Amino acid sequence: MATTIIQTEKLVGKRIRRREDPRLITGTATYVDDIQMPGMHHAAIVRSPHAAAKIRSINIKAAAEAPGVVAVFTGKDTEKVGPVPCGASLPGLRVPHHYILAIDRVYLVGHPVAVVVATDRYLARDAADLVEVEWEVLPAVADPEKAIAPGAPPVHPQWPDNVAFVYHQEGGDVDKAFAEAEVVVKQRITSQRLIPSAMETRGVLAEWRGADRQMTLYTSTQIPHLVRTLVSGMLGLEENRMRVIAPEVGGGFGSKLNVYSEEALMGFVSMKIGKPVKWIESRRENFLCTIHGRGHVDYFEVAAKKDGTILGIKLKLIQDQGAYHQLLGPAIPTLSVLMMPGLYRTKNVRAEIVGVFTNCTPTDAYRGAGRPEATHGIERMVDILADELKMDPAEIRLKNFVHNEEFPFPTATGLTYDSGDYAAPLQKAMGIVDYKKLLAEQAEARKQGKLMGIGICTYGEICGFGPSPATPAGGWECGTVRVEPSGKVTVLTGSCHHGQGEETTFAQIAADELGVDIDDILVLRGDTAIVPYGIGTFGSRATAIGGTALYFALQDLKVKIKKFGAVLLGSPDVSFANGQVTCNKMGKSVSFKEVAAASYRAMKLPPNTEPGLVSTHFWEPPNFTFGFGAHIAVTEIDPETGQITVRRYLAVDDCGNIINPLLVDGQVHGGVAQGMGQALWEQGVYDDNGQLITGEYTDYAMPRAHMMPWIQSEHTITPSPVNPLGVKGVGEAGTIGASPSLVNSVVDALSHLGVRHIDMPMTPEKIWKLVAGGKN
Amino acid sequence: MIPQTFEYTAPKTLDEAMVLLEGGGKPLAGGMSLIPMMKLRLATPEHLIDLGRIKDLDYIREAAGELHIGATATHSSVENSALVKAKCPLLAAAAGAIGDPQIRNVGTMGGSVAHADPAADYPAALQALEAKIVIRGAKGERTVSAADFFVDAFTTTLDAGEVVREVVVPVEQAGTGTSYMKMPQPASGFAIVGVAVRVRRGGGKITLARIGVTGLSNIGYRASAAEKALEGSAGTADDIMKAAALVTQGVDANSDLHASAEYRKHLASVYAARAITAAASKA
Amino acid sequence: MLARAIPGCEGLEQTGPDEYRMKMKMALASLSGAFEGKVKITDSNPPSSFRLLVEGSSKIGFVKGEGLLTLTASGENTDISYEGDAQIGGTMAAIGQRLIDGTSKMMIKKFFEKLTAESAS
Repeated sequence: MATTIIQTEKLVGKRIRRREDPRLITGTATYVDDIQMPGMHHAAIVRSPHAAAKIRSINIKAAAEAPGVVAVFTGKDTEKVGPVPCGASLPGLRVPHHYILAIDRVYLVGHPVAVVVATDRYLARDAADLVEVEWEVLPAVADPEKAIAPGAPPVHPQWPDNVAFVYHQEGGDVDKAFAEAEVVVKQRITSQRLIPSAMETRGVLAEWRGADRQMTLYTSTQIPHLVRTLVSGMLGLEENRMRVIAPEVGGGFGSKLNVYSEEALMGFVSMKIGKPVKWIESRRENFLCTIHGRGHVDYFEVAAKKDGTILGIKLKLIQDQGAYHQLLGPAIPTLSVLMMPGLYRTKNVRAEIVGVFTNCTPTDAYRGAGRPEATHGIERMVDILADELKMDPAEIRLKNFVHNEEFPFPTATGLTYDSGDYAAPLQKAMGIVDYKKLLAEQAEARKQGKLMGIGICTYGEICGFGPSPATPAGGWECGTVRVEPSGKVTVLTGSCHHGQGEETTFAQIAADELGVDIDDILVLRGDTAIVPYGIGTFGSRATAIGGTALYFALQDLKVKIKKFGAVLLGSPDVSFANGQVTCNKMGKSVSFKEVAAASYRAMKLPPNTEPGLVSTHFWEPPNFTFGFGAHIAVTEIDPETGQITVRRYLAVDDCGNIINPLLVDGQVHGGVAQGMGQALWEQGVYDDNGQLITGEYTDYAMPRAHMMPWIQSEHTITPSPVNPLGVKGVGEAGTIGASPSLVNSVVDALSHLGVRHIDMPMTPEKIWKLVAGGKN
Repeated sequence: MIPQTFEYTAPKTLDEAMVLLEGGGKPLAGGMSLIPMMKLRLATPEHLIDLGRIKDLDYIREAAGELHIGATATHSSVENSALVKAKCPLLAAAAGAIGDPQIRNVGTMGGSVAHADPAADYPAALQALEAKIVIRGAKGERTVSAADFFVDAFTTTLDAGEVVREVVVPVEQAGTGTSYMKMPQPASGFAIVGVAVRVRRGGGKITLARIGVTGLSNIGYRASAAEKALEGSAGTADDIMKAAALVTQGVDANSDLHASAEYRKHLASVYAARAITAAASKA
Repeated sequence: MLARAIPGCEGLEQTGPDEYRMKMKMALASLSGAFEGKVKITDSNPPSSFRLLVEGSSKIGFVKGEGLLTLTASGENTDISYEGDAQIGGTMAAIGQRLIDGTSKMMIKKFFEKLTAESAS
């Protein structure tokens, strides 16, 4: 036996390139649409061109007789399939029955009314055009404030007021705070509809094997296990007879944190025709039929003392739910309420949410899911308050932050902020940009008639969703480590990464703990037949919860490795480090590989120990984690055209310990790009008839690489006490910090003209009008 | 991409193409506008005649004081052509302002011109350059000026069965300054407003001014009133401002989600002033 | 006369006193579609004004245009002025934003040109 000790370099904390990248950038990854099966059929879905209409009749004759068509199904056929589920539960929530195909009425453009199944994708699409639907067009409403105004057409006739729910939350004594206030500022702030735009649209392939009574459902999802539980239920199929596989998933941003009608529909079709059937969402369908994000109208009021101390916050939040509730829709604005105090100490808050039905695509979780809206609101309000009090925006923030000695800090909305040093990133950011110098430069620029703005956003975000009681479906995660007899390591995780890079970061964690080469580790996810169970990847939770579950599985495994090592070495006095079980007394070691082989060969088992080296851990977090940070945006405005140039963008994020700084940079860059998209360009716009007029990329302005400024990403590190890795989460931080810092910056550039607020997106025309008119 | 069934033919010569087009085929050049429409089934041509394999349509050459750009020369080849950059920099600038690199690598001069998108970049430059469009039809060739070629939104003088064979622009004389400036629509990259300017000086005066405007209305046009105001002037900042204010004269500006008519008109004057200033500084 | 004035109109069949069923082919750039719909004249106030409603639907979506036409005598000529708006829906709405304003202007222009030509003949 070898006695050399290999000093393995620690990988956690290193900028390691993503191991998933080669297949992604060479186009060899396997997405749903890449999967081919013998006998596979193709589905095309007939959808409503109207936002509200009664179906007088559907004539499928011509379609059914078209070449290659094997079946056409309408709502009458699928009526008994369970409704598309809403997992959110709020008191008094009105949940419309969401059939997978419309029965006699449609509620939004894109509403599915029939499915055409053919031997070929093109023939299916051709035949879909032959389905004749006779419509009785009804008046529609597309704006949430118009929808709750008297006389608006009802989206669902059974609820003529269009109110989906009203939700109140209150903490402290708000009335007292406002009574004692020396100053109150108010503002209407909108957070427009956004279209998530994952690079891969959705896609489903269902394969029913009737003889085995088993179904395999390939779907582009962030939550394969929840899809299995819910879709099997919709189809009346036993859960254990359905296997859900999320192959390569080309982005989700929350839009695939859902259960969609097409997932059940393909299962239904496959069971009917006894053949595999595939549906791939077109980009046009993606615009109309995959959830949208945001859709807020917020009425904020902040009470404060003259010295800038915030006394209380009131919020009336109007949430555009769209025509239906998808999986989490109604819960999303409640997250905005939870985070409405931001990083500030105030204990007096009152919020009322009015969820409103409109004849539009349902809104649900989109990168940040409620927290960008909350942060945008409070960070705009703090700037407005600073402007009112002629205070510096940095100073007013520093004055109101939760103090370091107050952690864990119970908030007015019932959360407990785990740890933090909220002044640190702001001060670091101000140092990096030389804030005082910038202010002097701005003063000089104004003298010359130039428009330059400095915008600060400090944010807190709920990461690591979450303790189970705070979530609709369990908030834990599952991690399995399976050491193969050859000593290779397979990690199975319930996290279902879809671009985040856990194949790399989780391998880093496992490599460090086991002292093995990272190339010996394979991270698998996204298959309900191989991963015991999982909640999925969303809400900045994968590393904090999935990573921790893996960490604990590794700890259990290490105990077992030592036991087998002890047997092999013939001494109970052993340690395990750097891939070696060592008995110091004897000066002998056995390698991890030898231990793995012995554990399966099982010639001699340690007492009370099973053969093999497999460990599974379900980890339930005791709390959320709370990332935080400060972003600063410096902008310049062309007064003649209203065009905004982002001169500098700095993000200082505190996401706790960092597993891989390269991937954290990537998350921040992507997040900032999405937040910048909302601030400057993107908007899901409906006309009064419920037609989505930004329904293709000719009108929906996705941020592109050439539109991006240089983004500087820096950090402070405050480890989370919630998990042993000390990690918090960073997937959504960039998005949360970007829109308020940019809007604050542009408002700052125009503040001397009397501008106090600008709604997003800040289009050049809007800015030009403000410069010309000089008011908000 | 699931279009309706169509036939596809890729002729090797223009003569072959003419026969096919006479039979009612739809010409396909770069496809940057046609293909997205087919994808949505908004366009459902029954027979596509791909002009992309016709070798003698893809050229950029100089002859007799003019540059000849073949119909299938891509935007990026126009943008990056040493000949175009040296002899007709305005055209290179307009080509470089189109869409994004992927579009410029595939989209073609002939396709763009024949499509006559009211927000395309080329029409502004071609108007300012007083370009000629050589049209090939079954009966032979005819040449029309850019001014006559563009009729309305997506409407040209091209008859059924005719295609653009080449675009002819003058070699820029010494002493001429040019500039193309645009505000792109953030989603599509098309011009909300684009202004192409040529300015020549002589004897302390502006002797020639050509201003082409795109994006503002249904058609790329020459801003004649502004040109007249500039010609003969000393080209001072004040002269430029006055001329720029005239570029929208008599124009029925379009309005959409991205820019109101009022804003478009304002932008046209701003971009005209900037483009004239830039061109004049090079003249 | 109306049939010949409406751009792309391929057939007009009277279904009521002021109502017609229409077949229309629209071809704009590479966009093409066969529409079926109706034309309706309301608020008829001869000889000075009437309201024209045009509706059509096809596989690529639907269009709806409504306008008030006002005719005023000016010397020997009659000036026609127009006020109205157009809606589009379905797939056409996906790409229509940039085109709707210019296109409807163009269609209206064609309509009046043809109407004038027809009136003259």
